Amino acid sequence: MVFTSHIFVFYFLPLVILAYYAVPWKRNLLLLFASYVFYGWWDPRFVVLMFLATLANYICGGIIARSRPGSGRRRAALVAAITISLGMLGFFKYFVFLQHNLNALVVWFGGTPFPVLQVILPIGISFFIFQSLSYSIDVYRGESPPVRSFADFACFVALFPQLIAGPIVRYNTIAGQLVEREHSLDKFACGTALFILGFAKKILLANAMGAVADPVFGAESRTCLDAWFGLCAYAFQIYFDFSGYSDMAIGLGRMFGFEFLRNFDSPYLADSITDFWRRWHISLSTFLRDYLYIPLGGNRKGPRRTYANLTIVMLLGGLWHGASWVFVIWGAYHGFLLAFERWRGKESLYARLPRQVRVAITFVLVLFSWVLFRSPTLAEAGAYFQSLFALTRADGGSVLLAGELYTRGNMALMALCALVAFQRVQAFDWVQRMSWPRLLLVLALFVFSLLTMFVQACNPFLYFQF
Amino acid sequence: MQYSRPIGIALTVAFLFIVFGMPLSQGVLELARGERPHVLELFLHVPTKANLRQFERELDSAAWAIQRSRPWMQFVQFTVLGHAGRDTLYGRNGWFFFRPGVQYLVEPLPAPGQDTDPLAAILAFKAELDARGIVLVVVPAPGKPSIYPEQLTRRALDHTEPMNPHTLTLLTRLRDAGVDVVDLSALFYGSERPGLYLAQDSHWSPEGMDYAAETVARHLFERGLVKPGGTEYSERPAPVERLGDLIRMMQSPPVERLFAPERVDSRQVVEADSGTLYEDDPASEVLVLGDSFLRIYQLDEPGAAGFTAHLARRLGRPVASVINDGGASTLVRQELARNPELLANKRVVVWEFVERDIRFGTEGWQIVPLPPAS
Amino acid sequence: MRSGMWRLVCGMVVFACALASVSCGRGTQTGEDEHVTTLGTVEVTAELVEIRGELIDRPMYDYAHVMKYKVLTVHRGGDVGDVIYVGHYNPLKPRNAVADARVPEVGGTVQSFRVGDVHRIALEFPIDECFMGGIINKYHEENVSPVYWAVWTNRARRP
Repeated sequence: MVFTSHIFVFYFLPLVILAYYAVPWKRNLLLLFASYVFYGWWDPRFVVLMFLATLANYICGGIIARSRPGSGRRRAALVAAITISLGMLGFFKYFVFLQHNLNALVVWFGGTPFPVLQVILPIGISFFIFQSLSYSIDVYRGESPPVRSFADFACFVALFPQLIAGPIVRYNTIAGQLVEREHSLDKFACGTALFILGFAKKILLANAMGAVADPVFGAESRTCLDAWFGLCAYAFQIYFDFSGYSDMAIGLGRMFGFEFLRNFDSPYLADSITDFWRRWHISLSTFLRDYLYIPLGGNRKGPRRTYANLTIVMLLGGLWHGASWVFVIWGAYHGFLLAFERWRGKESLYARLPRQVRVAITFVLVLFSWVLFRSPTLAEAGAYFQSLFALTRADGGSVLLAGELYTRGNMALMALCALVAFQRVQAFDWVQRMSWPRLLLVLALFVFSLLTMFVQACNPFLYFQF
Repeated sequence: MQYSRPIGIALTVAFLFIVFGMPLSQGVLELARGERPHVLELFLHVPTKANLRQFERELDSAAWAIQRSRPWMQFVQFTVLGHAGRDTLYGRNGWFFFRPGVQYLVEPLPAPGQDTDPLAAILAFKAELDARGIVLVVVPAPGKPSIYPEQLTRRALDHTEPMNPHTLTLLTRLRDAGVDVVDLSALFYGSERPGLYLAQDSHWSPEGMDYAAETVARHLFERGLVKPGGTEYSERPAPVERLGDLIRMMQSPPVERLFAPERVDSRQVVEADSGTLYEDDPASEVLVLGDSFLRIYQLDEPGAAGFTAHLARRLGRPVASVINDGGASTLVRQELARNPELLANKRVVVWEFVERDIRFGTEGWQIVPLPPAS
Repeated sequence: MRSGMWRLVCGMVVFACALASVSCGRGTQTGEDEHVTTLGTVEVTAELVEIRGELIDRPMYDYAHVMKYKVLTVHRGGDVGDVIYVGHYNPLKPRNAVADARVPEVGGTVQSFRVGDVHRIALEFPIDECFMGGIINKYHEENVSPVYWAVWTNRARRP
């Protein structure tokens, strides 16, 4: 189910709110049931997979909790949890990629390619696998107590507000809330406001920018101007799409008494790539830091190892986003820039320039990475880079792209997106205080976004594919 | 969080009012109409992926709020932002364009696969017709953005290269393979004749249609495929006023009211002797296959004023036709295969399809075997 | 007290829905009405067993999609066989809203087409003589004949 759909807003959500507040007991069980319905709405078969991932980590976590620290049994249970979780992720997300690459090698050596076994990618698998795995690791490290019931744990893994596209919620940040959480009018109202702002971001800004970016990236060729226009549109699309989802998730969480951590902090105002990763998809950055970078040795084993660790983490972070070489290169690009800045003492090459210039340069560096992120293949990414630097010309019908792009509506929406994206105060901060004028603005935005949703074709969130 | 109690209550109540009010009012409305609330359909079917998608789609289309607000939101988007909906692009000087037609020109053609390769399908059809002693003449109808790109974007004013290289490539490959082809796009693009397409519609104007008919007739004569017939036809002015399909695609009456219907000076074809309107003759030596470019003015108002009528006038003989709206790539041949008697007595098959169907043809480009000739 | 009220409200909502479901289901047992029994030359009650391919969702494109039915009862028209293939005009629209200027005579009570549903249908054939437009026939290669044209399609229960 998609948050920005008729069925979610007008049927699923009100029913869950009604049931949740009407029945003051077994609320986690109710949320679990609702979450399975929410997830199974795409394809009911996927629920089985989620249940198995949950069960595996629940059992392993239990064994870890009951075993002595440092015992082989404890380690074996952790290894089992990691193997099962990453095995599932590997099979469903990377098996096809692996087969294609093996086939390429076979062909390279003059062999005949074998038929590729197609595997359906369950939506949001990277998120729920990471979340369930975080439990086993947290319990192993002694950072969290074992969960008191399977229903609570399953609720944590499947919790529908943040299930499909994050923010990634770690077990140790939510363990207490699963047992007891505060429900208040303030919290519900604040959650409502944040949900509405996220909803508006997705419907009014992200989808509009997607309608600009898609034809540019889909074109056979494009002018330099079109390429930059389309790339900026994509940068805004992915930001408003993903941060909009996070806002909605955090808002929905508050409606049900949960408090999730912030996932975005004005990322396009970053003045270096290091700064960017403190502000973009914060829950993933911290997850990778705590569960990968630090176990690899972090910065404790000398500068060279630090650079290598940074690059490895970003490479795997890239691969986490998708089974494709473009994501690997995207990760390597960010890894290289992070390592480079670390080599300079966490300073960018342009650190002495005025802040506005630093922000602009960082934005352009991030834009280059979005070319990789958006292009289906490396060849198409290469062609797009050529367009960006005016190394190709628009041929044939590509001239007509201008007719699709430079409408007064697109220009106005692009300006609006820039205005909002480069604000220091984002929705997360803005909803902390509410006045009557703000309230009216929020409600007007909600009504306008709903009406706009009615004329839009279904437009799922970009991060669903991860 | 700093929320005063009245603000918290107001926000919560307003939000809940909206999210509960919509489904409740929908249910009440449906019950008042004596219908079963649509939402109950969910429980009447096995919750498979397909059933859930269908349920969701139907819930949307049954919702009164969506049905009532959609035309007005489309109106707001059009007037404020210039957005003309999912399938339409608003160009310059009041011209509209069909988005897939532009997409066809802008995007690369996917590699042809099984059932999507026009060359293979056309060659297979030609082989079938050859076996029956029938000559195939292929006539791709250029899309509006190929001929009037400057009405979509000012940038095209300085552009002299053809907009439709994919079409030209296919035509070259067809010619190389021995297929008889009439290239209307080169003719139209360089033409001095004004107004070959309608501003509000995705189709050609009567002038463009007649120019195409004239060109095809000349081609058939020049190739010796048809001799001038003995039937004399004349023309009768039949102006109509029509709101173009591109405006109607927005499905917004308030938007439609913004535009006056376009006056179209079509001319009906009548038999010179009797004055009766042109009618196809299934026994004709010429069979014309095609899509809505043949339907317009012929089956639509005013009738007997479309491509087939004017081709017949130019040939001096009636023709037979199979017109399949939006289905000239495959469906029209399937229809022919279901009715093979239409091929009896034929010498020429003229096959028209709009160029965007090279990529977007309904049901792709399947090879459709014809029943053996009796 | 408050939670008791909520439970009462929830119970009433569920009961009302169930009541509505049952009451609105009446009258659809046989699917018989004055249209289905008089229009077309063939009349059957049949189970929709397959909708091959995706139904096209394109505004302004009017077409028919051929679906496969298992015949349960023949009311008129003689022996039509166990399986028939029926083209429905613009199948994404409810039958009571499908008639238009181009095809004015079609209708019925079916809201949507789902595999497993039973319909009472008034039919005409062959489809090419009834409808001049796009006919999406995914069974074309199987040479099914005749393909029927659905004139009136009512919801029905299995006889």
